[in-house]
Amino acid sequence: MIAIPYLTALTTFFSYVLLFAFGQIRDIFRKITGWYSSNNLQGYAPICLGLEDFYIRRLYLRIQDCFGRPISSAPDAWFDVVERYSNDNNKTLIRTSKISRCLNLGSYNYLGFAASDEYCTPRVIESMKKYSPSTCSSRVDAGTTSLHEELEKCVANFVGKPAAIVFGMGYVTNSAVLPVLMGKGGLIISDSLNHNSIVNGARGSGATVRVFQHNTPSHLEEVLREQIAEGQPRTHRPWKKIIVIVEGIYSMEGELCKLPEIIAICKKYKAYTYLDEAHSIGAVGKTGRGVCELLGVDPVDVDIMMGTFTKSFGSCGGYIAGSKELIQYLKYTCPAHLYATSLSPPAAEQIISAIKVILGEDGTSRGAQKLARIRENSNFFRSELQKMGFEVLGDNDSPVMPIMLYNPAKIPAFSRECLKQNVAVVTVAFPATPLLLARARICISASHTKEDLIQALEVISRVGDLVGIKYFPAEPKKQQEEEKMLKLE
Amino acid sequence: MMANLYVKAVPPVDLNRNTEWFTYPGVWTTYILILFFAWLLVLSIFGCSPGMAWTIVNLAHFAVTYHFFHWKKGTPFADDQGIYNALTWWEQIDNGKQLTRNRKFLTVVPVVLYLIASHTTDYQHPMLFLNTLAAIVLVIAKFPNMHKVRIFGINADK
Repeated sequence: MIAIPYLTALTTFFSYVLLFAFGQIRDIFRKITGWYSSNNLQGYAPICLGLEDFYIRRLYLRIQDCFGRPISSAPDAWFDVVERYSNDNNKTLIRTSKISRCLNLGSYNYLGFAASDEYCTPRVIESMKKYSPSTCSSRVDAGTTSLHEELEKCVANFVGKPAAIVFGMGYVTNSAVLPVLMGKGGLIISDSLNHNSIVNGARGSGATVRVFQHNTPSHLEEVLREQIAEGQPRTHRPWKKIIVIVEGIYSMEGELCKLPEIIAICKKYKAYTYLDEAHSIGAVGKTGRGVCELLGVDPVDVDIMMGTFTKSFGSCGGYIAGSKELIQYLKYTCPAHLYATSLSPPAAEQIISAIKVILGEDGTSRGAQKLARIRENSNFFRSELQKMGFEVLGDNDSPVMPIMLYNPAKIPAFSRECLKQNVAVVTVAFPATPLLLARARICISASHTKEDLIQALEVISRVGDLVGIKYFPAEPKKQQEEEKMLKLE
Repeated sequence: MMANLYVKAVPPVDLNRNTEWFTYPGVWTTYILILFFAWLLVLSIFGCSPGMAWTIVNLAHFAVTYHFFHWKKGTPFADDQGIYNALTWWEQIDNGKQLTRNRKFLTVVPVVLYLIASHTTDYQHPMLFLNTLAAIVLVIAKFPNMHKVRIFGINADK
């Protein structure tokens, strides 16, 4: 639950009104000055309708230097950010050859596999020499290597399902599988804050899409009852299939899904469940098996489990795990399997090795250490930030923590000031988040050491004071010391 | 002092990013405060009587809200692939549901502005005529029966 100070809400609305007004005035001037320049494209339709690119031209381009910063090293705990400058007020950015070494608080590097790893990297290089970087074919033609077979078995084992299928891209996994599973006459009920890939897949399937209030099982039940009672839109016939789509960890909120309650409701009304574990697989749970392990849900109760390999495993691609019949069906209908190039073999080897490290099958306890470290790091960082007075979202144990900024001017202020002090953060604004709720999203990694985190906390605290985002009262340090004294006595 | 007043921001179920910001707490207050500060601004720039200032605010409000609520169609970003390109902002809010609290509030504001402007100008012409015209056009544009209606094809799609 996000609690905005009322005054901040008012000033945020006012800032957006001001930005909007200035953008419109600039557009009027552009129309006047552009009247005289002739264009030799008479009769062609315009590429952008008048209002469509307003947000990009007048709001996003002003702070463009805070997004899309190029990096020139592996996204480890510390990485090199390329400096850019602009001569025309951020409309175009020019790269320089200077780099600055910054602390990485933005990459989805939950278990630290993003940089060279002592077990994974030699095996990846070997597989690249043996199988070459690309299979140059789709899975059904000549693109299935023994690595792909091993990977699918490995993933199914890891997640706790009978079978799995892997794809070359995480986004495509959602947007190409949903149209295959659901069609016209089906009902998709998805959480209101689901990722764009799910929204895209749902739209492309042709099924009716309904949205329930974020992470609210009671509203899900209400929507289910209403839809089952009404039936299909005009004919009122019963739905062919009902599927409920939720995510394990919501990447913009850092919240865990209320999985046990949602599964109970779905079983009651006989709807299928689809769990997107993009951010939670490998990062939460005692042995890294994701939200099901953390919340004590049997994987048998979730019908379709989806995940990606880009976050915790340091690779690329996505998977779907489910029953043998489901995977067999996907293998002969899903266009991403039939026509898209298969997963790159070195990437597949990276995932297999990463899973082996997590499960401890490489002979060391590095996997367990990484999991323990990311849990400790996340809880430490979150509690320290909350003590300083920041508004931090997300549940305990979740490695994603958004810090609320709200005002549009604080987004570039926070981002640029942190970069000056060598901490690289990712800031997110409208339309990826609701208009009022702009935030800076921090992703903690197992490769962050305690010193890194303490340095990051100092920088964020300093910048937070400068920018004015400590919306909650900070816990005074003296009170904590007095409590300690009382406990000792 | 005022910063200690916190309000809960519940993420709404509205998928249209162009209109869902209107469901958050604080919008109505911001709207009223902008009108009030605009009146103060007009008073200080033009140095006219309070009634004249309210008339200017009323007419400017008419021009701005008619243009952005009832004339401009679509959304200012391309993510939604143009599904709202035939609808004005007024037709998009609350997912097209009529007579919601937001719509009732937005209909009352031009009427209240009209009453203030005509009262402070002592119902003199020509201000009264202009104010009345502004109020009538705005209120009629917000009727539920005018949903998706394009009179004489003005502002309709090609």
